Amino acid sequence: MSKLFGTAPDPKGELQQAVEKFLGKKLQITWVPNAEYTDKLNVTLASDNLPQVMVVDPHLPAFVKSAQAGAFWDLTDKLDKYPNLKPSDERSALNSSINGRIFGLYRMRPLLRSAIVIRKDWLDKLGLKLPESVDDLYDVAKAFTEKDPDGNGKNDTYGLIIPKWPGNYASASPYDVIETWFGAPNGWGERDGKIVPGFDTPEFLEANRWLKKMVDGGMINPDFATLDTAKWNEPFHQGKGGMIIDVNIRSRQVLDLFYEDDKENYGDKVAMVGNLKRSDGQKFSYPFTGYADVLAISKQSVRTEQDLDNVLKTLDKLATKEGQNLVTNGIEGRNYKVENGDTAALINEDDPAVKVIQDNADDAFIQLSTKGTVDIGGIAYQRVPSGKPYQDMLTLQKRLMEEDLKTAVHNAALPVVSDTAVARGPQIDTIIPDARIKFLSGAITEDQLKGEIKRWYDSGGTQVTTEINDLVKKLGQ
Amino acid sequence: MATHLAAPPGKAAPEESGRGAAKVPLRTAVGRYRWLYLMLVPGVAYFVIFKYLPMYGLTIAFQDFLPFLGYSGSPWVGLKHFEELFAGPDFGRLMFNTLLLALLHIVFVFPAPIVVALLLNEVRVSFLKRSVQSLIYIPHFLSWTIVASLTYVLFAADFGVLAGWMRDLLGDTSKIDYMAQEEWFRPLIILQQLWKQTGWGTIIYLAALAGVDPNLYEAARMDGAGRFRQLWHVTLPAIRPTVVVMAILASGNLLDSGFEQIWLMTTSLNRSVADVFDTYVYYAGITQGAISYSTAVGLFKGVAGVILIFGSNWLAKRLGQRGLF
Repeated sequence: MSKLFGTAPDPKGELQQAVEKFLGKKLQITWVPNAEYTDKLNVTLASDNLPQVMVVDPHLPAFVKSAQAGAFWDLTDKLDKYPNLKPSDERSALNSSINGRIFGLYRMRPLLRSAIVIRKDWLDKLGLKLPESVDDLYDVAKAFTEKDPDGNGKNDTYGLIIPKWPGNYASASPYDVIETWFGAPNGWGERDGKIVPGFDTPEFLEANRWLKKMVDGGMINPDFATLDTAKWNEPFHQGKGGMIIDVNIRSRQVLDLFYEDDKENYGDKVAMVGNLKRSDGQKFSYPFTGYADVLAISKQSVRTEQDLDNVLKTLDKLATKEGQNLVTNGIEGRNYKVENGDTAALINEDDPAVKVIQDNADDAFIQLSTKGTVDIGGIAYQRVPSGKPYQDMLTLQKRLMEEDLKTAVHNAALPVVSDTAVARGPQIDTIIPDARIKFLSGAITEDQLKGEIKRWYDSGGTQVTTEINDLVKKLGQ
Repeated sequence: MATHLAAPPGKAAPEESGRGAAKVPLRTAVGRYRWLYLMLVPGVAYFVIFKYLPMYGLTIAFQDFLPFLGYSGSPWVGLKHFEELFAGPDFGRLMFNTLLLALLHIVFVFPAPIVVALLLNEVRVSFLKRSVQSLIYIPHFLSWTIVASLTYVLFAADFGVLAGWMRDLLGDTSKIDYMAQEEWFRPLIILQQLWKQTGWGTIIYLAALAGVDPNLYEAARMDGAGRFRQLWHVTLPAIRPTVVVMAILASGNLLDSGFEQIWLMTTSLNRSVADVFDTYVYYAGITQGAISYSTAVGLFKGVAGVILIFGSNWLAKRLGQRGLF
């Protein structure tokens, strides 16, 4: 069972055939659209019909419970036997574990992906520079709102576009990223020798005060609490809003949109900067987890050690350079060719049959890769887009990533799972993100926001904090 | 009404045959009405297979259920999940929101079809009457998703039609996001329900009204009753049984706030007024994976619904009305 970002591949399609031939096994894959993946995952975990291998968020409460009850194979001590399955990055492996036990192969992702995508033509028109600090960001947002950057004579633009965020606190929302810029812990962090939740810090409040000033000044889309994430790019593309804070690959998505409009000058529309400095010049960057979900193996459908060995052997083969290239990039010579020995350049882009292979790889099969990503490659060939703006963006992306990694603020509690947090999730998980949005929209005051933080503690948060502290100590970090 | 229809002409009504069974031996009774009993079989089978057997699953409300361990392997925890629900921070809010929405529903949505049916009944031009009726029940066939999208298009802060009017007509540029305001949540929900359900609800009442004997009106007119008097003394008493049955049926759904509609209208900003049992069960069970806990919530809701239905039926009988059973 795996995620899908488009139409499901035909099981008899060229790419699936190629993968099956490579592995010497028939594959039966359940593709589930990304938007409903978590729901479907919870339902599947509640059924008695689990697929052998599934893509799953290792800290999803239902998965944690199942894994701890023994529904999935504990792979911690088994991976050494398979040359290609050993974690390539210990930190990411630990992050994706449940209290140090590995229940799935993590899918590699670049650690630092947060960035701001900006309308370059607007900056140029108003004679502004790329923002470097949060104050610059504020000024740019203000100018985008008040100085008519699109030149239509109407007061109909705003600076920053924020959507209704589907995740909870510390789930890489624009809010989380901005709070980290202001120095708040990313999720959980140490304060006076104790690990505390990021929202219980003065920096958290300061960041939100700053954001509220932007909301009050009309610098953020007024429907930030209800705008669908699927429509995030629209205001940017249609010239209503000028900035997006999200993963750096979003630059590619918006470039695609402008490319459709104007195949010559699309590069003039999009600029990107990385994480920002605080007013005092200090810089804190928001890192991601280094992984996106894991491939977990069910004990129910993979019953014996012998069966497990078979599955792991297959996954080991898939984790070779050849296998990763197949699922990440497609079929060599059909939809891409290798350039300079280490990059994949797209070919035959106008051939409909080749386009199917390309889409199948991008929308679906890449989800099966554990060691390859399009933007930085991993052990797979890095993808080189054909247009120069794309190439420049990719180079910039890599440079920003390396630069911001030096100031990354890691989430101290990422590898641990508190039982209370799992059990009380339904009652406490929405308290903080809801309160934050209410505060920003002016529905509650700062004191009420603090009251909500207290309510979080009273509803079980105190217990969660104690458990997290114990678990982190036990993990010996 | 339902009981009238259930009794075939010339045969005994079911409730009477039930009483008679005390005197006539069961075998004879079954033998005599064997075709009727045979016709009952698919219905009973349906309820047993699809409604009663799945209730076995309710046991997981008393367990820390893990599918991997199954019903027999999961640990029993007694009433833990119920305690967590009743003592938890959400219960009061859920109860309040659910009941308030139910109350608003009873006050505004339930009588609406009656009023509209009475109004339509007074329309003498049959073409007009029928076309109005058809027009207002069409929204019933739209899904809640579409209703929610329509609401969004009308009320959204940025591009909403309504926001546009406010700007153009009143010069109001405050851009209120109605979809995100707590105080607008309940009015919007009730408006949606009125818009979507009123027309459909009138069908039953219009049918009941069509059954009123015209002689009664004539007699009332002879006695000098005006339009309003006729309405009060003839029409309303005539449809009272229908209203009572509809009310009892509705009472069982009192805690059913309608999952889809509310879920679609919930945002971070209005969650504190929008959370009701239905959406909470989905949120806790499907998106948070707390299966046992959400089953306990659902079970509580179901039990409360049964109590309400029996209670209102009892009340109806006490008030001299013909109850549902």
